[in-house]
Amino acid sequence: MPGVIAAGVLDELVAICGEDHVFTGRSALFNRARVPAPFPVHRWEEHIPQAVVMPTSAEQVSEVVKLANRDGIPVVPRAGGTGLADGAVPLRGGILVDVKLMDQIHEIDLEDLTVTVGAGINMQTLNRALAPHGVIYPDDPASYPCSLVGGRIGTNGWSLLGGRYGHVRDLVLSFEIVLPTGEIVRVGEGGGRKCRKSSVGYQLKPLFIGHQGTLGIVTEATLELVPRAECEFAGFFLYDGFEPAYQTMRKVARSGLSTLTGVMFFDPEKVAYLRRDDEAYIEVPDWVKAVCGISLYGSRCEVEPAVGEVMRMGRELGGRYIGDEISSADWACRHDRYATPQHGRTRDGQVVLMSWHCEDAALPISQMPAVREKWHQIARRYVERYGIFDDWGMFAYTNAGFKPWGDVLMEIDLGLWEPRMDEDNWQAFVSLKREIAQTVLEHGGTMSAAHGGTRAGDAELVPTEMGSAWDLMKRVKRMLDPNNIMNPGKQMLDEAYEED
Amino acid sequence: MLVFRLSAQRPPKPERVTDVVVTRLEHVLEVDPDLMRKHVAQQDIPNWDMHRIVSARWEHIRDIHEQWADSIVLAGEGSELGAGPPEPMGET
Repeated sequence: MPGVIAAGVLDELVAICGEDHVFTGRSALFNRARVPAPFPVHRWEEHIPQAVVMPTSAEQVSEVVKLANRDGIPVVPRAGGTGLADGAVPLRGGILVDVKLMDQIHEIDLEDLTVTVGAGINMQTLNRALAPHGVIYPDDPASYPCSLVGGRIGTNGWSLLGGRYGHVRDLVLSFEIVLPTGEIVRVGEGGGRKCRKSSVGYQLKPLFIGHQGTLGIVTEATLELVPRAECEFAGFFLYDGFEPAYQTMRKVARSGLSTLTGVMFFDPEKVAYLRRDDEAYIEVPDWVKAVCGISLYGSRCEVEPAVGEVMRMGRELGGRYIGDEISSADWACRHDRYATPQHGRTRDGQVVLMSWHCEDAALPISQMPAVREKWHQIARRYVERYGIFDDWGMFAYTNAGFKPWGDVLMEIDLGLWEPRMDEDNWQAFVSLKREIAQTVLEHGGTMSAAHGGTRAGDAELVPTEMGSAWDLMKRVKRMLDPNNIMNPGKQMLDEAYEED
Repeated sequence: MLVFRLSAQRPPKPERVTDVVVTRLEHVLEVDPDLMRKHVAQQDIPNWDMHRIVSARWEHIRDIHEQWADSIVLAGEGSELGAGPPEPMGET
């Protein structure tokens, strides 16, 4: 069980953040102990922080972190709490720093096309404010309506529109971060707050993107704006097997269409799942086994001619067009994909409430068929043995920013009957995850393209994946966080403090 | 004037779509209620509420579209689902 914070420390937190911004009540603590992914509910109390603070400035964050560093108290940063890899889940209690009150838009610069915001702002909220100006901030995760900029930086998030506009690492020009010692620094391209490329100094910005809260707390960011697209197009094609859909994805991804924003893929298990349990159910004939979706964004003079080419490529290997109405509606749903059914099936087909586990990875596209088969073999074994899992199928998106070829974001969705959670079932889940992640490493991939390697089952494999860079990663952690207070226990980084 | 009649709020008898899916209202497909007896209970939803849910989905879709682009380009084609699977490759 996590320890207790001394009353004197709470008084100091109140002095720093104000009485209204320090919380120790059960609901404030318990609600920030988990994220919307399977959770060891039988051990919920092990993950609650002792205090929640909601600072309103970088200076307040800095003072909180200095206090924690002085007394060796764990600090866990939390933004929207929507991550699927437990980055914001406290492992050792401590002070949870919730950045939601730092949600201001500080500057909209329409000349240099940047916007400067607090880390607690949500992208949908930001885009509503930007809409009258004809620009958007095109970071578009599954959690678009509810995740926050600070968390997106901490996760190195993937964007649905990344193939056209880039992902978080491309869209964040510079940001302010409070280091584990309380020092406030700004990192970007050299010293240029609004520059997109620099050759000056070390490239420090990438170090603090995707750190999962282990290297500091982002408080403010200057982001890329792009001209709002004049139009969008989405086309979905249905296939009678995995292979023609997969080959279509490969061909479209390397087509060179400049407005191509992404290519999406559903495998036969995903189609079967949608047939039985999706509330947005579309009546799909039995012969349909796989789906390939293609999206375009840009000016009308570019998109309209490209539509003809997309329709040709979608049909070339036997694809059937699903129609305008479903294509455009389903693409809209891609922007808000947290609306999963939250129910699955037992082995005998009965409906049960299930929480959603989305295991993601990035892999060379050539490895997609083999990895997909192995993932389902693993899932089937656990479904049969434990009776608490359900295989909800696999999907994939093109992964690279600006150039949607070469590798894919692959994900397998699994249902987990959380009300049946006990230690045996939790360990089974962790073991299942580990086997899936191990398969990714065996095929030359990375365990996560979007969520992070911070969940049990993945975390133990981080040293393996990092290979020869693991020792360097540990040295960086220890240098920046000498007392191991910043989100401790994540990604096996405790090892950094075991060696002299 | 719209008159609320309780009898009009009860969905008709379900028609089977597949072995695990039924439909009672147009375009609304539901998990077979027989599969929701052991571990979860199916909610009793009046017709007006189901229509509200369906309508809200379209509102949501419209709102999402408007956030990302000024307009939607369509291929101008309907569904080919009824056309059946393609002929096997390589055969005439």
